[in-house]
Amino acid sequence: MTALAGTTPPRIEARGVTVRFGGLVALDSVDLAVPPGAVVGLVGPNGAGKSTLFAVLSGLLRPSSGAVLMDGRDVTSVSAQARARHGLARTFQHPELFPGLTVRQHVVLAYRLRHARRRIWTDLVTAGGFRRAGAEEDRRVDGILAALRLTPYVHLPVAGLPLGTGRLLEIARALAVDPNVLLLDEPSSGLDARETDELAATLTGLVAEHGVSLLLVEHDVELVLGISDFVHVLDFGVGISAGTPAEVRADPAVRAAYLGTEEDEHDGPDENVEHDRQDEERATA
Amino acid sequence: MLSYVVAGLALGAIYAIAAASLVVTHVSSGVFNFAFGAMAFAVARFYYFLHIEQGWPLPLAAVVAIGLFGPALGVLLYAVLFRHLRQRSPLVKIAATIGLSVALPPLVNLALGQLVNVTAPGLAPQPVAVYRPFGTVVDANQLITYAGLALVLLVGTALLRFTDTGLRVRALVDSPALTAMSGVSPARVSLGVWAFSALLAGLAGVLVAPTAGLSVEGMTFLMAAAFAAVVAARLRSLPTAVGVALAMGVVTSVIQRYLDPESALSAQIVPSVPFLFMLAFLLAHALRGRAGDAPTGGVLDRAIRTESGTAPTATTGSGYVAPLLTIAVVACLPLILDDFWTGLVATGIALATALLSCTLVTGEGGMIWLCQITFAGLGALFAADLATNSGWPPLAAVLVSAVCVVPVGVVLGLLTIRLGNLYVALVTLTFGLLAQNLIFMRDRFYNSGQGIYMPRPEWALDNRTFAFLSLAVFCALGVFAVNLRRSTAGLAVTAVRWSETGSRTLGLGVVPVKVLVSAVATFVAAVGGGFLALAYQSALPDSFSPFTGLVWLAVLVTVGARPVVGALVAGLAFAVLPSVFQTYLPTRWAEVPVIMFGFGAVMLARDPEGVLAMHARQLRTVSGWLRTRRTPAADKPSAPTPQGELV
Repeated sequence: MTALAGTTPPRIEARGVTVRFGGLVALDSVDLAVPPGAVVGLVGPNGAGKSTLFAVLSGLLRPSSGAVLMDGRDVTSVSAQARARHGLARTFQHPELFPGLTVRQHVVLAYRLRHARRRIWTDLVTAGGFRRAGAEEDRRVDGILAALRLTPYVHLPVAGLPLGTGRLLEIARALAVDPNVLLLDEPSSGLDARETDELAATLTGLVAEHGVSLLLVEHDVELVLGISDFVHVLDFGVGISAGTPAEVRADPAVRAAYLGTEEDEHDGPDENVEHDRQDEERATA
Repeated sequence: MLSYVVAGLALGAIYAIAAASLVVTHVSSGVFNFAFGAMAFAVARFYYFLHIEQGWPLPLAAVVAIGLFGPALGVLLYAVLFRHLRQRSPLVKIAATIGLSVALPPLVNLALGQLVNVTAPGLAPQPVAVYRPFGTVVDANQLITYAGLALVLLVGTALLRFTDTGLRVRALVDSPALTAMSGVSPARVSLGVWAFSALLAGLAGVLVAPTAGLSVEGMTFLMAAAFAAVVAARLRSLPTAVGVALAMGVVTSVIQRYLDPESALSAQIVPSVPFLFMLAFLLAHALRGRAGDAPTGGVLDRAIRTESGTAPTATTGSGYVAPLLTIAVVACLPLILDDFWTGLVATGIALATALLSCTLVTGEGGMIWLCQITFAGLGALFAADLATNSGWPPLAAVLVSAVCVVPVGVVLGLLTIRLGNLYVALVTLTFGLLAQNLIFMRDRFYNSGQGIYMPRPEWALDNRTFAFLSLAVFCALGVFAVNLRRSTAGLAVTAVRWSETGSRTLGLGVVPVKVLVSAVATFVAAVGGGFLALAYQSALPDSFSPFTGLVWLAVLVTVGARPVVGALVAGLAFAVLPSVFQTYLPTRWAEVPVIMFGFGAVMLARDPEGVLAMHARQLRTVSGWLRTRRTPAADKPSAPTPQGELV
């Protein structure tokens, strides 16, 4: 399975990635590539291995075999923080926020880690804690917060924020490091339909304006197919399909993975998953 | 050799009973009971009261004290404290049980009187019968100890494996939520577990009293030694805990055969054996990556868990008035008080500097270190050694000593980075105990309990000038701490504290951030220790016992572990309040402040922010209410404000 063809190497690429947990093969020789400026979707039923692949790509999990490349450079044995410094950012299915910080402080910290890293040390001897932030930092941080409609919450601690707001904050924090490639794990989970549409617009704007590459894991298949240039489908740790949204939508293997062999001709995989999601939401409401 | 083994098995059996109690309560309630020694002391003291002071027959006194009073104490403590702790953060759990360990013994002394002679009888009738099987010597107390352990193991195993009650306890260990859904009350089962645990604590306390003495120190040492077996068992495995406890007892006893009983080295090594065991097992667990925070409960419990009451407060840096006012008031005290009280205030300010290190490492970094007092002690001893034996200027000696202690803190920080919160607390406590036995007790430093003379600077010989000097140093370090909190480093420290995964994927290294906090906190602790030595004009090793450090922590968390000015209030309270009680109240009440400190820490179970933050919040509520009454038109919804932030 190959990714989009291009002259420049993909921003991030998985080559034959296999992950085993004891006897369980969570990922079996998976290939995936995210070209510069592209939006790539990653879909699959529950337990397909999507989050495991994210963990491998972001450096939180070392694969049993295979390689991860960033801009053509092998980073398989490179730590998560080193990959982050190389331009990789990600969000989590369960947001990994810092409850001791306010919404704005999350974004400020991320911005400084990218643009003023030395301040971790220099602030201690230059009384940096008592100085005002620079104008450029304020402009950039406030801009990101406004773009994700987080301005009303800027001075609130994140403990107690609604799940959807927490997800938006994670995205804002990830954007503040000016990533080359952004991995988003279920970004629309917890958002209502209007917020999901706004998020989609924000993400596509991000790609268009800043050239950020996106890799998106999402249960909202309509969202994925709507904004992705290329889609990969995983099932039981194996890549079963890859192509444009239209190709994936029509792939019988994908239909089988989602619907079983007795597929319903009237319901495509996307609709079925969407129905599942709505059922799930109704059940948890 | 056999007689050493027999004696060691008796000691090991007592450790084993204590370890079994600690394991059972930890796995069933998620609480590691740092108050075990205090509970053992309370029951043993009550047994002594009934049997010796009231003349009750031995069997009746034993049944009433161990069989009735012990479980009743467990039930009471469960009702007022332990039941509130299950959902609390590790820091609150540890601090609250430490608070109980601080408050309970003086409370018992207040009720039953302070013992002058700590020699106590065991469960064997006096005079203690002695037997000589196989050419060795066994006394009746040792036989009763073996029988006690056998009984505990048999009854405990039978209860857990073959009875309905045991089934409920095992269900509670696996998942309190599912236990509740099956119609069993987890609270009632927990109540039973704590009652049984207190019974075991009492039994261990009564059994160890003849050899270790009926003192808080003896019981606390028993508890600390039992910790080693519990750590070996990774806090969960009862058979491992019992086996290691017995092995520790035997090793402690047998090793004495090969050591010169007159040598100072023997006196240092023998009591260190349990802590060396603990260190070895901790390192082994850490190297195998098996010393993280063990999840408590089942999947459902984790899914429905709410961090009620432990929601942290964000750092916005608001609120300078109260801290500045507090500092101004403290600055006035040397001007209006006489020399005696000024001296106490100066000591309190010096202590505040040492406590500031706890504010940094625990309040900011979220690392539960129980050895800040050891760093303070090292700073004090090295500084006094430099000043007295090498003729260094006192302040230069304090500064250089603090710098020299920093690598110790950094190494400890590196060693504990991958450990779970509870393991970190145990490692640091163990480090403190080892340092006390192996370094502080050396003749060079201990000097028959008199320590090393520490001269003050010539221009700060009087208490008033020294108090101002101490306050200036505290303020300088306090401003540094506030700057750290508000700076990029502070944001990074908070980020790492709450989510290492989130931090790493932002490009933020966990190791450098934690090492930074470790280094700064160690430096501050050592400076504080140096100033304590200047305040006493002597570096006294006994002042830096790890158990005193637990009281320090109790005082600090009572006031609030995060506000910088909290360290100042806590230091003054610790130094001045006991003398206030001794001076103006009957001698019997001298320990009331310690009881207050302990209960203050216990109150964390209800309000994790501490007393100072709680009152600040109440004041804000009242002032807000008053403002609303004055300007009804201003009654509009507003965003919630961060709580408990007093610099």
